[in-house]
Amino acid sequence: MTETSLTVAVIDPSTARAAILEEGLRAAGVASVVVLPDGPDLQARVANLKPDVIVVHLESPSRDVLEQMSGLSRQAERPVAMFVDRSDQTMMQAAVDAGISAYVVDGLRSERIRPILDIAILRFNAFARLQRELDEARSELADRKLIERAKGILMTRKGLSEDEAYKLLRRQAMNEKRKIVDIARAIVTAADLLG
Amino acid sequence: MRITLGYVPLTDAAPVIAAAELGFARAEGLEITLSREPSWATLRDRLALGHLDAAHMLGPLAIASALGLSGPQAGLSIPMALNLNGNAVTVSNALWSAMAPTSDDLGDVAAAFARVARAWAAEGRPLTIGTVHPFSSHSYQLRLFAGLGGFDLDTVIRLVVVPPPDTVKALRRGIIDGFCVGAPWNSVAVAAGLGRIAALGCEIAPDCPEKVLALPAEGADFALPLVRAVHRAGLWCADLANRDALSRLLAERAELDSDAALIARTLGGALIVDADGTERVNLAYLRLDAATHRPDPAQARWLVAQMVACGQLPPGGDAADRAAALYRPDIFAAAIAG
Repeated sequence: MTETSLTVAVIDPSTARAAILEEGLRAAGVASVVVLPDGPDLQARVANLKPDVIVVHLESPSRDVLEQMSGLSRQAERPVAMFVDRSDQTMMQAAVDAGISAYVVDGLRSERIRPILDIAILRFNAFARLQRELDEARSELADRKLIERAKGILMTRKGLSEDEAYKLLRRQAMNEKRKIVDIARAIVTAADLLG
Repeated sequence: MRITLGYVPLTDAAPVIAAAELGFARAEGLEITLSREPSWATLRDRLALGHLDAAHMLGPLAIASALGLSGPQAGLSIPMALNLNGNAVTVSNALWSAMAPTSDDLGDVAAAFARVARAWAAEGRPLTIGTVHPFSSHSYQLRLFAGLGGFDLDTVIRLVVVPPPDTVKALRRGIIDGFCVGAPWNSVAVAAGLGRIAALGCEIAPDCPEKVLALPAEGADFALPLVRAVHRAGLWCADLANRDALSRLLAERAELDSDAALIARTLGGALIVDADGTERVNLAYLRLDAATHRPDPAQARWLVAQMVACGQLPPGGDAADRAAALYRPDIFAAAIAG
């Protein structure tokens, strides 16, 4: 896509996600991409920027502000309307699943908007996937730390080797039909309480 | 059966929050997961596309969503109303000083508001007033309030949307001169020392339709038990004996960022209207009682008339009939008979 003439505004409470979309749109040739913050200044910022397309995350509290700037308001100087493609329910669902809504100036043709939405859907889904992987990695790391601490406690209190301590944890988990990390957490909590 | 119910944090979300949190739903075999929505637009779209099974929704927005006037067109039904009234018009301290109405009577206040609005517009600095969404009773009440003062809102005032949690910030920074929002946000602005409650919504439009329970038209086989649960929860909420417990529930569980005492005042219709602590009591300020629950198709027709008056809909056509058909007193009657 080489869409150089459009100005696209991005509104997203997550600055990291906004930056990823901004980069994606630039890479696709959109020359003017501006990230706008939520907040009481938003309407003035949009009025000054006069974007052709506004991509706004569903979690943003500013969507209702944009809806008031639509053609429904007799005062809007440059009315925007939520982009709803009635002919393509699948795309609409994909956009909402990815957390995207878009507002466009009146008269902007659908085929000029679609590539922007496609990029937004790809980027937001990729961001969500990364976020999920990061959360999983974090919790895995936290689990491993807990197990290390529990092993340390068992080694000190019961004079076990590291290997024996781990085997004891594993046996207990199997006997109780629980995860090793749950047994480890119980040991750490008990040790913290009992000193 | 498990369902997800969307709401926006406001005092009038009380019946759905109480239904979910206090066992009314469980008694009907339903498990409600509450989903706090960041905007009315997002609540509307998530309901339209099936991410939500039910919603606490602005009545006019539910109608607009079903008629295809706002967002993706949705097949909706409205088997219950959640409340009547609950809004107020709050103005900045500076605007109130300029208005200096001779009394708190609605006519005097509206006349004073009109005088200042015209004067400021003539100076090229029109008043900027906040509402919550184009399709809201708040927008219609502001128009009626302007009409009482004898002027047309569109030509004299800038109407903007301010998300209710931002109203205090926007007043402090002078971005808006006033707003019409629901409880408890008017009281929050007064408590912050930034605003004066100028007029109550229930005075501008008595028994004004407000939030409804909106469901998908198709596949909502939980409609009867849900309506029964929310109706019973609404009766519990309307009982003044439960006011303090409900206020605490709303302050804590619903993440309404206001303290319980302030919410209790909005539930009891005893509002502090200015920084001096002046109290105004109007028991109709926010009605959650049994008589407000039946979804009356006449309310839909009234709302459509307001949409036409605002230019949101062309006059004529069958919009009023289509809107009235969304309101389902038959489902409500079947639910509470069960």
